[in-house]
Amino acid sequence: MERLSKNLSARTLWLLFALAAGFVCAALRRWQLASAFEEGTGLAVPGAQASVILTCVLVMSAAWFVILSMRQPMSSPPCAAGQARRWDLVFLDAGDPVYPISVVVAAFLAAASAPALLPTGISQWQDYQKARAALAQGLSVQLPSNNGALTIATAAGALLAFLGLLQMGRDGLHPGRRGKGGFSAALPGVAGCIWLMESFRAHAANPVQWDYAPLLLAIMSGMMFYMDFAGISAGAARPRRLLWLAAMTLVLSAVALVSAICDKAWADALLLLSQSLTAAAVLWRLPPNLEHPPKPRQIPGSKPGRTPTIQEEPTDE
Amino acid sequence: MENWESEVEQNPQQGASAPGDGAKPEAKPRREASDGRDLYLNVRVLVVMMSLFVLMFTFVARIIVVSGPSMENTLHGGDLILVWSLGYVPKQGDIVVLTQESYQEDSIVKRVIATEGQHVYVDYVRNTVYVDGKPLEEDYTKEQMFLPAWGEGVNNVVVPEGCIFVMGDNRNHSADSRFPDIGIVDIRCVIGRGMAVMFPFNRWKGL
Repeated sequence: MERLSKNLSARTLWLLFALAAGFVCAALRRWQLASAFEEGTGLAVPGAQASVILTCVLVMSAAWFVILSMRQPMSSPPCAAGQARRWDLVFLDAGDPVYPISVVVAAFLAAASAPALLPTGISQWQDYQKARAALAQGLSVQLPSNNGALTIATAAGALLAFLGLLQMGRDGLHPGRRGKGGFSAALPGVAGCIWLMESFRAHAANPVQWDYAPLLLAIMSGMMFYMDFAGISAGAARPRRLLWLAAMTLVLSAVALVSAICDKAWADALLLLSQSLTAAAVLWRLPPNLEHPPKPRQIPGSKPGRTPTIQEEPTDE
Repeated sequence: MENWESEVEQNPQQGASAPGDGAKPEAKPRREASDGRDLYLNVRVLVVMMSLFVLMFTFVARIIVVSGPSMENTLHGGDLILVWSLGYVPKQGDIVVLTQESYQEDSIVKRVIATEGQHVYVDYVRNTVYVDGKPLEEDYTKEQMFLPAWGEGVNNVVVPEGCIFVMGDNRNHSADSRFPDIGIVDIRCVIGRGMAVMFPFNRWKGL
């Protein structure tokens, strides 16, 4: 009971601040979209109140999460090189269904973006090939700047992220198998690279940075978050930085999500929702486990006094 | 402090040498863990580099491909140019990359002829551009300027505040501020200043 209340307080602190900051930033972004861009041209109004306040709140949130992560109690110092499995235990919690369910839902959200991306990419590819064929015949045709290849690759990346997230959820459901952090988290991280390239390419000619910078920052934050997540199982654990990145992913994704919904960019919206949900799941499980790491239980029939390895950990499922 | 290390990690040298042989125990190779960590670190470098590149391209500088003949002979179609964005304020004579969505969604490359408050007069008869009544010395233009197909267009104007007047160096094959669909350009439409031709290498030069 005591442990439960302690866990609740650590979770509450991180989730409360991250969700509150995300909600405030999303509301500010909505205000900015309504007031900080000129009608007709869509150019940013210099020094618009909404833009200034949103920037300040984002910077303050980042600073606040740095403070929170520095003050995050941890029962063990960061592990040395080679001791990869030690930190896996921070994701061990056999009786808690919130984390695995959230991550599995996030996996399906990522997968759902593929059907939204694929037809667009294929259509762009066909248009590009038609224009090329027309040019080859000597017709005066403007070659489209987008050949659709990156959009198709982003759809493939979304499926890659789906597999990685599914494995992360599975690791959460079956503690004791392999790493609880899961190297599979690197898959959505790599998929993020493709998504980032596609998003930058789509906006490279846009002179209004406010139109796309929040999306790019959200994707970058998500990529780094997934990579730090994978680092937990690869002997490169940075639990405090992981907490900070999870919180920032949640906040930046909330900002970018507002624009994605307003622009009806459903694929981006689904991918942003997916990484937000994973970040929230990490904020749910990681803080209490860093403070009070779960103790591996004794395996029935094993010698008394012997600590079971993580590989031998029994499962409740 | 609770013990939450696995046995293997606590005793990495266990079983590496025979007991009592007096030899210094050799560490058992942990190839699997090392390979996994190396792979992870390589992937992380890729992700970090990608993020840094996109951050730099978004806020500091980027490389764009020139399309079309409008800036010949200074720039040619297919040239890769380095464009500086951070803190750039357009100045007369600079080569700039801008996007005017009333004309096309892709960015275009032009030269700044006049900035806010300056008066521009394009004289097709004398093949001269006047800024504030003074003729510009333009050694960069490709050929003599003729009256465009769309007529004189915007050829006699005072540039409003926060705007620039741009023209291509290949005056007879350039849709620029003279063309009504483009017109005077808001400086917020400017992505950055062309700094140098990066590729092809034999045409490398500062702009």
